[in-house]
Amino acid sequence: MSRTVLSGTVAKNTVLNQAVVIRAFGYAICLIVLLLPTVAFSNGFTPGQSVEGNYENFARDFLQNRCLDCHGQKDPEGGLSLHDLGPVDEVNASTWRSIWAQVMLKEMPPRDAEQPEVIERLRFSEWIIGQLTQVMRDKGGFRDHLDPNKGNFVDHDLIFGAIPAGITLVPTSTPARIWRVTREEHITRLNELINSEPTFDPMNPGLRTHGDSVPTNHGGELKLYFGTDQIIQWQGGTVAYATAVKSLPAVLSTARDHGLENYPHFYSVNSAEATQIMEVADDIVKYMAYGPLSIAEPWQITDDPKSVADKMKGDIRGLPTSIVYSAKVVRPLTPVYDLMKEEGVSQDHLRAAIDDLFEALTFRPPSRNESDRYLAVVNESIEKLGKEDGVALGLSSIFLDRDALFRPELVEHGQPDQHGRVMLQDWELGLAVNHALRYIKPDEQLRSAIIDGRMRTREDVQREVERMLADDSIRKPRMLQFFRDYFDYDRGGYICKDAKSLADTGVSNRGTSHYNAMFDATASTDRLIELILQEDRDVLRQLLLTDKIVATTNDNVYFGKRNSPAETQKSIASAKPVSSEEAVTLETARQALTDIKKSISDNPEQSNSKRGELAEAKRAVAVAEKELEIKRQKRGGENHNVTEAKLTGPEIFARVSRRSFGNGSMKPERILATAPVGERLGILTHPSWLVSHSDAMDNHAIRRGRWIRERLLGGGIPDVPITVDAMLPDEPKSTLRDRMRVTRETYCWTCHKKMDPLGLPFEMFNHAGLFREQELEKPVDTSGEIIDSGDAALDGKVSDAIELIERIAQSERAEQVFVRHAFRFWMGRNETLNDAPVLKAAHRAYQENGGSMRSLLASLLTSDAFLYRNRGESEVAAQN
Amino acid sequence: MFNRRNLLHGIATGAGAALGLTLFPKQMLASPIPGASSSRTGSSSPKRIIFFLQNQGFDPATCIPEGMKRSGSLAGMKLPEPIRPLEPFKDKMHIINGLHGLHTSPSHSAFFGALGGYRGSDGVPPSGPTIDYELSKVLPETLLPHLCIGMDSMENMTTKPTLATLSASGAGQPIFMHSNPNHLYQMLYGGISTGNIRRQHEAKSSLFNQIESMAAVGARSLPPQERQRYGQYVQGFQDINGLRGRLEKVSDHLRKFAPEVDSRYTKPDFETDWHDVLLDLGISSLTSGITNTLTIGSGRGEIFGSWKGLGIAEQGHNLGHMDQPGNPIWIKIRQYNSRMLVRIMEKLESIPEGSGTMMDNTLIVYTSNNADKQHTSGANWPVVLLGNIDGAFKTGCFTQLDGSRPINALYTALLNAAGAPCDRFNMNDQLAKKFDSGNGPLTEVLT
Repeated sequence: MSRTVLSGTVAKNTVLNQAVVIRAFGYAICLIVLLLPTVAFSNGFTPGQSVEGNYENFARDFLQNRCLDCHGQKDPEGGLSLHDLGPVDEVNASTWRSIWAQVMLKEMPPRDAEQPEVIERLRFSEWIIGQLTQVMRDKGGFRDHLDPNKGNFVDHDLIFGAIPAGITLVPTSTPARIWRVTREEHITRLNELINSEPTFDPMNPGLRTHGDSVPTNHGGELKLYFGTDQIIQWQGGTVAYATAVKSLPAVLSTARDHGLENYPHFYSVNSAEATQIMEVADDIVKYMAYGPLSIAEPWQITDDPKSVADKMKGDIRGLPTSIVYSAKVVRPLTPVYDLMKEEGVSQDHLRAAIDDLFEALTFRPPSRNESDRYLAVVNESIEKLGKEDGVALGLSSIFLDRDALFRPELVEHGQPDQHGRVMLQDWELGLAVNHALRYIKPDEQLRSAIIDGRMRTREDVQREVERMLADDSIRKPRMLQFFRDYFDYDRGGYICKDAKSLADTGVSNRGTSHYNAMFDATASTDRLIELILQEDRDVLRQLLLTDKIVATTNDNVYFGKRNSPAETQKSIASAKPVSSEEAVTLETARQALTDIKKSISDNPEQSNSKRGELAEAKRAVAVAEKELEIKRQKRGGENHNVTEAKLTGPEIFARVSRRSFGNGSMKPERILATAPVGERLGILTHPSWLVSHSDAMDNHAIRRGRWIRERLLGGGIPDVPITVDAMLPDEPKSTLRDRMRVTRETYCWTCHKKMDPLGLPFEMFNHAGLFREQELEKPVDTSGEIIDSGDAALDGKVSDAIELIERIAQSERAEQVFVRHAFRFWMGRNETLNDAPVLKAAHRAYQENGGSMRSLLASLLTSDAFLYRNRGESEVAAQN
Repeated sequence: MFNRRNLLHGIATGAGAALGLTLFPKQMLASPIPGASSSRTGSSSPKRIIFFLQNQGFDPATCIPEGMKRSGSLAGMKLPEPIRPLEPFKDKMHIINGLHGLHTSPSHSAFFGALGGYRGSDGVPPSGPTIDYELSKVLPETLLPHLCIGMDSMENMTTKPTLATLSASGAGQPIFMHSNPNHLYQMLYGGISTGNIRRQHEAKSSLFNQIESMAAVGARSLPPQERQRYGQYVQGFQDINGLRGRLEKVSDHLRKFAPEVDSRYTKPDFETDWHDVLLDLGISSLTSGITNTLTIGSGRGEIFGSWKGLGIAEQGHNLGHMDQPGNPIWIKIRQYNSRMLVRIMEKLESIPEGSGTMMDNTLIVYTSNNADKQHTSGANWPVVLLGNIDGAFKTGCFTQLDGSRPINALYTALLNAAGAPCDRFNMNDQLAKKFDSGNGPLTEVLT
């Protein structure tokens, strides 16, 4: 938004102010008196700086002037009366919270009322935050303004437009903090200890390689697998394998599954998790020392499985002893291995094992003091339990070190600048940069830079970031995680589907086939994003508009078209007859029925006596027809419900989990295909995204619309009022659009108009992600509308999701919103107005470099917001 | 989670702090120990309370006998099919209909608000302590003040073996439920071994003590805003160490109550195998006296859950979209709950305590974290009480209330019965003006 527009708003407000004053003068002098204090609001404003004043001398006037006309004592709008609201307290906190949201989002005062000036609105909002923070401090706290889902509450036009006069920005920084590692980071870190991942193969860049995140398995679980790279034989099938192999689920918890999942303040580590980490640690240390011997009998480790056939007699499927491990050592051999293979305990080797493990878990070498402390701990354990158990137990304690579970950004050393900010340096800076891109420890170049004192300046960061971004062999799973958090395309496998509704979509509902397809789809979309990132041109636009898809054979169905009933019938009719026992049976039954009918026709007097025979013949035909249909379906024959996409293209790979389900494990093989023309456009039309935004029985148009509103248009949606029973009517014979009529009631529509018309264009797909032209045997209505996007050029009706996406993809606003989300992900916090220069610079870097994600990232990672921390000494800094 | 409380809190009136350490640990057990005298009256009488919350709502039609519109005796009435297994325990039962939780925002789940009596919602931290935790402080001191168990789908229990959605020790201080019976067994009974395992247990104890010290050092350099979150991490070690030490001291006693570990722990066929053994562990923690406050979250306070072991193919959120009355799926789940309640009661009845049994000094509160249904305003919040804590609660009856008193009033009654007189629980006067037509405990349930 340009300065011109902002100025226009101010001018308009001035006119409105005058009009109101004139009108008010005609009615009552007292109202003019009430309007006068608004002058006080036009004082300057510094974002993050607490606004002085109490309810009586500050907030009451705003409420009286701006709110009570509608929300007064008598017949208040929406049943909300604010006439006796009073100062913020525990009881009315939820009302104040709603007021904050409405004012921040410029929902209130309503459009047709006089609008407060920008500074008045900001001061009032800041005052509410201050009051709620204070009042709720010992009652669970007030964190709405820190919630990533409410990041857009900060006015987009203020961030990217000119800052109005009277607003003073201060140089930004981020609070000093500890950042608990995520489940993915933790598992990947542990995986490094026991598994060797393949080195990067430039000829097959899509294959999972060292430095990639440990992916979820065939069933969507995040697990650490032991020794699977050495398994050369097992008994039984998929389930037997899954039961027999050793695996440990992720221990650290995650409460969020949509949007940005990992702000530093989200999580701690509780006692139950700590207990489990200890147990996991013991297993890992023993595997580091002994490899598969720690989980198998010695005879199971051989390159000649036949030689141990006599030990594997009988049905031992599913037992750990049903596995044969190769004798080849493939795990990393570390000082822990060296320590355990020797007789006795050498203190030098013990210290080496401690130091190595400490760095593997915390990503930095221990100080001498830390090393000494753990040496004493392990020696004591050895004294109590002997070498084998004592070392394992003692070393386990390192897994619970603070810095193994939290990454500190504490800036304990260094002088604050005049704004109270201290720049990260050395290990804290090096690990912050490393963490921005990677889940594994710093590579040798970054490590050396840290140790040599070359991680202290912005230029140092620029150097390392650019080096890592330019090198594809340095895997950067955090980048992919950003796109997962931003797009939310990785939830499809976790959406539990109603079996009948799933079958109605045209995809198979047998067993876990759909869920497996969805986990495959997540890996495919991951890979597609990587390919677009590799080109690094117009990244967001490419993601939204690409006609490329990374596909498995299953995707011929998922990217196909759901046939109408007539098309299904036509397909069945034109299908080649099935030559099978069932077909013969049906033909025989039909012939028998014909014979009986003829017999009755020839001998009408027998019609009564043959009635039973006739009924039986009809029943036999019906049964035979049904069995034939089942047979057709079971044989995986033609799916008459779907016109398949017939995808073709070069073979590529996607990154999938280690073998987790025997031969039923996820496969990396994919093709890079082109989507059916006119039916798909970009990631938002891929089944991975569509199913992630669906529910058990239908599409989730509201969630899809919300995604568009928040992630592309930068709008905010207030929380659902507690009085709302947000449920659509249960009407199986009505379309979702029809059922959503309840959201069009005035009370709901205020918010739902921001979401529903953006989500309903996606009705061109069913809830398994298949394209469709009909719904409930009528042409599907895919119309929608962009309402109040903030960019007038975007607003207006759209005929379907493709038109919607095409229009938004051209928008600069969508780019800026994308940048805002990238900021949140990499800073681990919401933006404030003080971050406006950082966001503008990042967007400029993205734009000027042709939509380059690398440029955007380099800009963010060298910004003050990323480099500087404050320890709360400065109030403004602390609020950022 | 297992905050160390004042050592003598709740122990014999007037005993005073001087007796503290000499009483430990025998009097820290809530179960009878041979030779120990026990009075059935007075504040030294052992008392215990169990909260059992089934998610997705508790439809009143599935617990109120057909045709019963007004308050009255349950004698002669036939319990509805979903809770039919409780028929033999009708005389211990009190069905309450007409409490409300309008202020708790229970649609989908009130989460911490269900036991807190305050507004809760997904992702909203607890704004105060929950009633189970508050009671655990009031009831006689035990080794483990409070145990929370969560039952869920197998996938959830394995991938998220701990979860905090229902109980809290204070604002922003959630208490975690245990869902992996193997972990819970180790926590409760790891110390009753001998020989090599015993040595390992001791070495582990020493190690955890050192980890706790090192973790505490890590807190020193933190800025103020990070100390609370890091404090939870340090507290975790304090909990682990405190509990282990206390359990160790009564190992002989515990050995008599520890359940036998069978294949259901390690190779469950269905999630219900784990539900069953989790319940066994919960019951044993009561009978052994390790704790006297047990919270069971069936569905773990959320909107999902799975009961495939009952032959129910459907799972998760869809279950909540179904009407419960007359629904074969919900009859199965509710009957399964009821059978669990019966198991608890039968076990507690089998153990003498004072001149009666443990059940005589026990109260079970059975309800939902979602009031009456999944999508609800909370205008009606049905509850079933079982037992009477030494005669403090009315039993054998149905009480129909007018919907003007909140669940907080029931919780106030529990606190009063447990020996902590108060007028309100987690509801100040301003809130009460809006949400409570009365004051003090819910008298309709007290004798």
